[in-house]
Amino acid sequence: MKLKFGIYWGAACGGCDVAILDTHEKILEIADMADIFLWPLAMDFKYKKIRALEDNYLDASFFSGAIRNSENEEIARLLRRKSKVMVALGACAHIGGIPGLANMYTREDVLNRVYRESESTINEEGIIPREAWSEGEYELELPRFYNTVKTLDQIINVEYYIPGCPPVPLQIYSALTLVRDGMLPPKGSVIGAGDRALCEQCPRVKEEKKLTGIKRVHEVIPDPEKCLLEQGLICLGPVTRSGCGSRCIKSGVPCRGCYGPVDDVKDQGFAMLSALASSLDAKEQKDIDAIIDTIEDPLRTLHRFSLAASMLRRKKV
Amino acid sequence: MKRIEIDPITRLEGHGKITIFLNEQGEVDNVYLQIPELRGFEKFVEGLPVEEIPRVVPRICGV
Repeated sequence: MKLKFGIYWGAACGGCDVAILDTHEKILEIADMADIFLWPLAMDFKYKKIRALEDNYLDASFFSGAIRNSENEEIARLLRRKSKVMVALGACAHIGGIPGLANMYTREDVLNRVYRESESTINEEGIIPREAWSEGEYELELPRFYNTVKTLDQIINVEYYIPGCPPVPLQIYSALTLVRDGMLPPKGSVIGAGDRALCEQCPRVKEEKKLTGIKRVHEVIPDPEKCLLEQGLICLGPVTRSGCGSRCIKSGVPCRGCYGPVDDVKDQGFAMLSALASSLDAKEQKDIDAIIDTIEDPLRTLHRFSLAASMLRRKKV
Repeated sequence: MKRIEIDPITRLEGHGKITIFLNEQGEVDNVYLQIPELRGFEKFVEGLPVEEIPRVVPRICGV
């Protein structure tokens, strides 16, 4: 019998949905394995159809995107109720992703910048989106824009995680076959990815790490054969899960950690900070401080994709 | 006043919802398009090292 899938996006860019489509001819196999009941990017279904389903009717739902507002949360809870298995698809649902960077600011900071202060916006009355609006008999509602961006598993129980920004299409396909074949690993597992650090798969030559300073890309022409971190470029390879196919590193671009931490690492950014600390070529406090000072924007570099899932989580409000 | 909601609308990149109000005769009285989604790139790219911007803003839209 065919399986029943739901596919949804919260605060997302649609890249995870497109990665599903990027399985190319394998999309036909996906169509053979499951009927789709919700997929706003690619198909036309309405929320009320999902609300009308029996609980646990869907075999699995794949949720990409972070939880940014009350609609994201409502649909996440709805799909949880209707699905036997819930899968966080992609970095935003998994660890907060790029939208999680907004946790450096408050809700008001974001709304003011976007609707009142941005150079391209004319908004003389200073109106920002309101949750409820009415004029005469017309009444409209918008979702509540939260102060804090959350990962999917900070809102609902999640059985599996498919990491990546975006996940590699064939990795998504292989994760779907695990569902089809009843071969799913223990709950809580990351599927469709490796179980080692990216460094272990990196084709670059690694020697001893002795950092005397962190460089920005315009300050160095990296040797294409050698470890980027050893050349002074911050690369999150040591603490990031493999499975991406080293896409960035092979293009000469250091890793920013979109596949999330390896198993047993709670906080990817702090793990990287620890890795950096053990690679500094300095003994005296002032020399160490001088090297640390060369790290440009450490928070958004080390926690680029994982701020919402980190121990820091957000700016204190 | 009768109200028809098309939620979500799916022939767009992103999130959207349409609310249609009908009068007593069942004719369209007013229509609203609502965009319920915001992430706030305008704010969180502020102060980011310029060479990192091309690694962040492609996530505005991945379609």
